[in-house]
Order: sequence, then structure tokens, then C-alpha cells
Amino acid sequence: MLDFIVAVLSNPAVIVGLVAMVGLIALRKSFSDTLKGTLKTTLGFLILSGGAGIIVGALIPFSTLFQQAFHLTGVVAEDNALVAAVGKFLGRETALIMVFAFIINLVLARLTPFKYVFLTGHMMWSFAGTMAIALDQMGMKGWPLILTGAVIEGVSMVAFPAISQSTVRRVTNSDEVAFGFWGSSWITLAGWVGKPFGNPKKSTEDVKVPAGLDFFRDMAVFMGLVMVIIYVVTAVAAGPAAGAKVAGGQNYLFFAVLQALTFVAGVLVLLQGVRMFLAEIIPAFRGIAEKLVPGARPALDVPIFYPYAPVAVTIGFIAALVGSLLATVLTRYIAPVVVLPSVIGMFFMGAAAGVFGNALGGRRAAVVAGFFLGLTWPLLVAYSYPLVDFTKYGVQGLAFASPDAMIVLILMRLVGKVFGV
Amino acid sequence: MKILTVCGMGFGTSLMLKMFIQDLLKELNIKADTDVSDLGSVRGSQADLIVAPSDMKTHLVDLSIPVIFIENLIDKREIRSKVAPVLKQLHETAGGA
Repeated sequence: MLDFIVAVLSNPAVIVGLVAMVGLIALRKSFSDTLKGTLKTTLGFLILSGGAGIIVGALIPFSTLFQQAFHLTGVVAEDNALVAAVGKFLGRETALIMVFAFIINLVLARLTPFKYVFLTGHMMWSFAGTMAIALDQMGMKGWPLILTGAVIEGVSMVAFPAISQSTVRRVTNSDEVAFGFWGSSWITLAGWVGKPFGNPKKSTEDVKVPAGLDFFRDMAVFMGLVMVIIYVVTAVAAGPAAGAKVAGGQNYLFFAVLQALTFVAGVLVLLQGVRMFLAEIIPAFRGIAEKLVPGARPALDVPIFYPYAPVAVTIGFIAALVGSLLATVLTRYIAPVVVLPSVIGMFFMGAAAGVFGNALGGRRAAVVAGFFLGLTWPLLVAYSYPLVDFTKYGVQGLAFASPDAMIVLILMRLVGKVFGV
Repeated sequence: MKILTVCGMGFGTSLMLKMFIQDLLKELNIKADTDVSDLGSVRGSQADLIVAPSDMKTHLVDLSIPVIFIENLIDKREIRSKVAPVLKQLHETAGGA
């Protein structure tokens, strides 16, 4: 009986449901709201795991083809998919790290001058997963793993917003919100790299951008196109013989198109799960934070910066995409793995680099910032990839994507080296 | 009555907007459902009102549902001054339901 209870309470979907329930009860929500919130959180988590399964399934034939075509490993950097895919092994640890990290964040915001409350939910979750994976690989287990991961994440949740805050003030002309996104350090750096190239008086916002150019805002469409191109190019390079073997009797090019779209469908399912999983937990976290740490700055997701310079969003994204295409070619020659162009990563981070660059040094700085981000980010992905062995979890073709989390991961492995782990 | 908030992925900015609007509804003592959506799925969703960041204007201007565009997503005063009158109006035309 005890074993059964432990098994139920170790299930990550149950843990996140319970967390939402406790949060909603603490906020004195009605019975029906609490029931609804608990169920939706649990369902969201199950949907998210389903999406990860679809993504992993669509990446396996791709990885095989890529290997045969180029004799190299190709990876897609996507944290949510990676953490969800590893959920079978470390789901309980991930969910608990997320909860305790939030508590540590609140304690730090309450007791130290770092008054930041990190509220970007999918990032809290993916960072927790990154910690679980990193510590598992360093030989930790159970509660020591959970608590170590939670402390590192909790500290990161106030440290990274603090690093970018002075730059955020220059972008938003206010001090009310902070940057709660695990690309904040790299985006801020990109902005400062762009600064000397430009003149802040020559803003991107005076540039006329053709109206049709922002079609990439519809993520599903744009990602669909890019993934089809990547899959078909790989299939063609692998040739009909290798293609037919993987496709199992189907026309191999049609198979490649279908698998590319299946990958995108998996991402959409995953995101729907993330949406349901967070829709209840984050308002509950926010309610608790407002009660316990009144007046703290909420650290929020990256799109809050886009309206400050919508043209810079487009310019930064395009510059980042150009940079990342170059970097894909570059990683082919110098890095341990080939990092495939990431639509989601380049859009969200490239756009913000454009906005930050523009605020610091005008339009030329926006271009340089976006390009710098696109060029350097895949290198960070490629060089942190060998720090973790994903085959242990039956995952191939995925890599970590968040710069801040990768920086922490690299530091952890370095510290581990010193202590011989 | 249902209010839908929108952003690129449907769980970052839109969730933040949703929380502001929930606060506002409580303040106005109006009962309404709130939900989030990503930009790609808005067209398949049912709602009485949509609230979205202004940089998505070109994607959402041709909807049959009224859309409110927010310029500064962290400015609660802007959100309040744009959304509150519409909420009151929708609430009255729905006969308080």
C-alpha cells in the first residue's frame, strides 16, 4: 500500500496537479475552480509528454538520415521537447526542483536586495529539467539532486534578472519589470556588442518595413516550411537507397515531408500541453508571490520588449536567422555537432536582440546584435552538447537551447571537474 | 462571456495579460471566462473579446470578434483604460449573464 502511494506521489503529472491544487487552495479559490485548475494542470502535463513522444518519434528517422548523409550528428535545440522527453526518467525530480526553486526565489526576494520574482513558467520548468539532467549525469540522486537543483535554479531566478536589469531600464524607460527568460544574458550581451556600431538617434522605428514581412509571426507555418526544407535536403543528401530503408517502402521524399510536418505537429501538441500546464500554476504562483513578497519586480517573458520597437523585432530576427545559417555551416566544420537552424530560438531571441540593440545603438546596432546572437548561439549549443549524454534517456537529435541554462550547466560541470565528479 | 488573450506561443505574454484582465474583472465585479491562445490558433477559437499586443495588428485586424491592441504590455493603466470600458459594455449587453 505504501509503495502504491509513493508511486502515485512520484508521478510528475500528479505532482504538478497537487502543486496547482495547493496553490489554488492557498489563494482561497472556489471548489470548482480548484478542481478545474488541478485537472487542467495534470492534463496539460500529460499532453506535453505526448507531444514530446511525437517529436522524438519524428527525429529518429531524421537523425539516421542525417548521419548517413553527412556522417555527422545534427541536433535541434529545443528545451521543452528535451525536458519532456527525459520526463520518463527524471520527471518527478524536474517537477519538485521547479516547486522548491520557486520557494527559494521567494525567500531570496524577501530577504535580499534582489527583489525579483521569476514568473515565466515554461522557463522555470525547462531549467528545472536541465538541472535534473545535469545533476543526474554528475551522479546525484533523489533528494540531494532535487535540493541542489532547486538551490541553483532559485539563485539563477534572481541572479539573471539582476544582471540584465540596468539594460532593461534603458530599453523600457522604467524599473517596474525585469527580464525573466533564460536568454536574457545573451540578448543583453548582443545588445552591447551592437552598441558601438550604431547611433541611438537613428532608430529602427523610422525604417519602413514591407507589411508582408512579418509572416513569420505565425510560428506553425514558418516552422513547417523550415523543417520541410531541412528534412528534404537531408533525405536528398542521404540518397534514395538510404532513404528507402528508413521510409520502409514509402516514397522517401514524401516520407521526409511527412516526418518534418509530424515534428512540427509534435511541437504544437507539446506547446498546447505547456499552455494548459502553466495556465493554472503561474497565476497561483503570482498570487502567492504578491502576498509573500509585495512590491517585488516580476521577471517576465521576452515578448514584453517587442512593442518597444516592432521594426527592430523583424530586423533582429532576420539578422539572427542569417547569423544562425552561417553558424550551422560553421558548426559542420569546427564543432562536435551540427546545430540546425532553430526558428523558435532565433525568433524569440533574435527579435529581442534587435530591440536591445536598437535601444542602445539604433538600427545598425539592432542588425549587429541580431547577427551576433544568431552566430554565437549555435556555438554555445554545440559546445555544451557533449557535456551531457542523452542516449542514456533514449533521446537523439535534441539539444539544450537556453543560453543562461547552458552557462550554468558549463559552470556546474567545471565545478564538478574540480571536485572530481 | 469569454475573453481571449493572445501572444506568439500562447503561454508567456498572453498569460500575463490574462492575469491582469482577471484582476480587472474582479475589480469591476464582472464574471467572465478568460483563456490564452497562440497567434496561429486564434482563428479557430470562440470568444467575445480578444486582447493582443499591438505588434500583432496585421494578423488580427480582419477578425469578426472585437480585438483590443495593447501598446505597452507592462503598463497596467493602458490595459485598464482600453479594456475596462469594453468589458462593462459587453457585460451590459449580455444582460449581466
